Amino acid sequence: MSDELQIELIDVDKHYGAFHALKAVNLSIRKGQFVALVGPSGCGKSTLLRSLAGLETITAGTLKIAGEVMNAVPPRKRDVAMVFQSYALYPHMRVIDNLTYSMRLKRAPRSQSEAAAKEVAATTGLEKLLDRYPRELSGGQRQRVAMGRAIIRHPKAFLFDEPLSNLDAALRVHMRKEIRSLHDRLGATSVYVTHDQIEAMTMADHIVVMRDGVIEQQGAPLELYDRPSTRFVGGFIGSPAMNFVEAVVAEDRRTLVIEDLGSVPLPGGIMLGAGETVTAGLRPEHLEISAGDGPGLHAKVDFVEFTGAASFVITRGAPGLTVFNVGRTTLRPDEAVRLTIAAENVHLFDRETGRRLGA
Amino acid sequence: MTLEWRNRVLVVIALGLAALYLFPLYWMYVTSLKTGSDIFATPPDFLPRDAKWGNYGYVWTSRGMASYMWNSIVIASGTTALTALLGTGCAYVLARYRNGWIDVALFLVLMLQVLPASLMITPIFVGFSQVGLLDTPRLAVILALTAKTMPFFVVLVRATFMSVPAELEEAALVDGNSRIGAFFSIALPLARNGILVSAILIFMQAFGEYVYSKSIIQSPTLQPASVGLNSFMGPNTFEWNNIMAYAAIYVTPILAVFVLLQRRIVAGLTSGALK
Amino acid sequence: MKRIISGLWDGKGFDIALVVVALGFLMIFAGLPLIYNVVMSFQKVDIFSLGTFARPFAGFDNYRAIFADPIFVPVMKNTVIFIVASIVGQFIIGFSLALFFTLDFPGSGYLRGLFLVSWVMPGLVVGAIWNWIFAGDFGVLNFALRELGLIGGNIFWRSDTNFSLWAVIIANIWLGTSFNMILLSVGLASIPRDLYEAAELDGANALQRFWTITLPMMRATIGAIIALGLIFTLQQFDLFAAITSGGPANSSNVAQYWAWELSFREYDFARGATISVLMIVLVMIASVVYVRSTRYEVRG
Repeated sequence: MSDELQIELIDVDKHYGAFHALKAVNLSIRKGQFVALVGPSGCGKSTLLRSLAGLETITAGTLKIAGEVMNAVPPRKRDVAMVFQSYALYPHMRVIDNLTYSMRLKRAPRSQSEAAAKEVAATTGLEKLLDRYPRELSGGQRQRVAMGRAIIRHPKAFLFDEPLSNLDAALRVHMRKEIRSLHDRLGATSVYVTHDQIEAMTMADHIVVMRDGVIEQQGAPLELYDRPSTRFVGGFIGSPAMNFVEAVVAEDRRTLVIEDLGSVPLPGGIMLGAGETVTAGLRPEHLEISAGDGPGLHAKVDFVEFTGAASFVITRGAPGLTVFNVGRTTLRPDEAVRLTIAAENVHLFDRETGRRLGA
Repeated sequence: MTLEWRNRVLVVIALGLAALYLFPLYWMYVTSLKTGSDIFATPPDFLPRDAKWGNYGYVWTSRGMASYMWNSIVIASGTTALTALLGTGCAYVLARYRNGWIDVALFLVLMLQVLPASLMITPIFVGFSQVGLLDTPRLAVILALTAKTMPFFVVLVRATFMSVPAELEEAALVDGNSRIGAFFSIALPLARNGILVSAILIFMQAFGEYVYSKSIIQSPTLQPASVGLNSFMGPNTFEWNNIMAYAAIYVTPILAVFVLLQRRIVAGLTSGALK
Repeated sequence: MKRIISGLWDGKGFDIALVVVALGFLMIFAGLPLIYNVVMSFQKVDIFSLGTFARPFAGFDNYRAIFADPIFVPVMKNTVIFIVASIVGQFIIGFSLALFFTLDFPGSGYLRGLFLVSWVMPGLVVGAIWNWIFAGDFGVLNFALRELGLIGGNIFWRSDTNFSLWAVIIANIWLGTSFNMILLSVGLASIPRDLYEAAELDGANALQRFWTITLPMMRATIGAIIALGLIFTLQQFDLFAAITSGGPANSSNVAQYWAWELSFREYDFARGATISVLMIVLVMIASVVYVRSTRYEVRG
């Protein structure tokens, strides 16, 4: 990874009529980086990706690829490759013709394009399928063709639009690794749109969380997990999702009182007055089931879900808390539990703005 | 009743219904093979005994059908070519975009589709005579007819283009193709079958057209077969075997194409008219 | 210039060009005549003023003349009978056939499609065949009806003023039934199977399933088909030309044929245009109904 910027977005806006799809988006992507754009549907991540490809024109701001302003440049002159959610394989062309389509447009000699196709087929495991039509391929094979069609271009950037969402769970996990290792081998720059935060966490060097056309937070995966800058990011990154409860700062200013449940420690270094109300975010995996009496959250078990390796305990009340518990638990519904959490694992957010409080 | 027996009974009923429905067609062929006196037999003979194939040759030459059929082909080909040329692009754009303007255009197209030819011919005739188009009457018919057939063609072909994912063209754009290039190398080949079927339907429609040709073309040497058939059927005609032979010659090519491509034509027709 | 070319190559220019050319053609050859039609209906048009646009203004004279014409009322009555009887006949027979073919037996798809030949044949040919079938003394229809004992003497379908309109209606029902059937079949096929299974588990018999599921689910399709039927029926001209020529004594004359006769038999283009205007308004109302009943398709 070098320090050279491959993609640069400066104050980019996109309007569709009255709808404001992208609002003052700033984003810099370095050469060789694998960037994931995540967010709920309609957050603008796909619009952003399509703007990079040139399939949408941005309304305001500057979009640079490899240092050149690309605002009004048509897709074919941008030298980026895209893998579509539906793969968008040309159904009337064989696999080899799908792969070499871009080279034929550039009028590359046949021998050259065929050699390139063979090479790409070797890296993507398509050697035996070159003469087939897309309809004769399985979902995973089509995915590889779509990848191969991008790889053959040696583009300035790879753009992925939820490329794994049409695959079954097992294949998805496999392709995750494969795409990432291809990225590393090719030394490529990749922008990867997904709504699946696990995909983003496992594949990306840099995650951009979007919501309503705005970048909520961007950073390294664990940075987002450890220090979500808004309540939204806290809830979006991590699975199962973070628990949120209303908490009041106690008189001693060292604990937070949570109505009907008990208390959790107040993290240090936060300037809050006694009696102030905040939103506390508690990750299920940070809540511990403790024995005996003592401080903590006291609740009754509503039900328990087992996944085999772990179990989820969900407590009664509104909201019920989810606790992630490694191994198997003997807890039964209606049993009383005491939950504790370390102070550094308590995330605090402003009740109104959702912004992170403290460090 | 076993499934097999149920199917057999249903097939027999269906064949009976089809035979009843298609009887007029059968009657045309049987009559066309009878002699001038056989057709007035009572009871009528329902089988083509002693087929008079000579009726066909006789009608072809005595009625000068070569010229009529040629004119029908000229008008139908011209109309189909012009309709496809203009309509395909229009249908493509109407399929690709969704906004107020497109809705207005689509509404206009649907509206023009429904205007009856026999009501539109009056202003068309007067207007054409004023701009001198009546001097080239077959061209005039082709132009008027294209305006009539294009809306239908656009509706059918639009449905075809809508089944071609826009992502395919986007992929072609990113792969380095231009907007025009993507249309010609991706959208058009993938919509080819639908366009072809729609064009065939337009050809059939134009091949049998009557009102415009009857009103615009005065010279018998330029008239199509439909007008020729009508002038063959005088009020007191008795040559029914020859008229049916004329009709059979006229309609058989259309029927042959229809029977060959039936499945595709039915599918294409239903995808556009209703959804 | 360069911008225009690059827009044509890479931008919206290409799409705009495609639409503008096609819609422009339609405007010239369908839109202008439509307007010209209205203009002529307010003008005095005869053979001498045919070549000029500056004709004397006639106000509502043409409309008054049409309404005062002694055959106006019978022609309108015939038009209504022709439309209603054709649509009802095509729909009932078409729906029955469509229901029969949903029974799904070997070859049902092919046989059903075969019915459509009646719709692809030239109207003139259909008219000629029925003309012969309807023949008075030697027509096969009279023979069949006599053999079935339905009639004592021959009916002179084309020359009897009581039957001439019905002759055209029968031919038109034959011509349009198959199209109705195909569209209704598509509508029937789009009703999910499991709805019927659920209704059957709920205890509905075949007739109840038809009334409570088939008909309500088909409402949009039926609306569209009736509107389409109205549109197609008003377009029907060839059968009149081939079977009765509107006669005898205008007993089978309808508005769309009368309009043509006025223009091209009597060369009274102004009155021909006037009827056209009246009928086109009617057609447009029908097509609004049609467009609205297919609005799901139109709006996507």
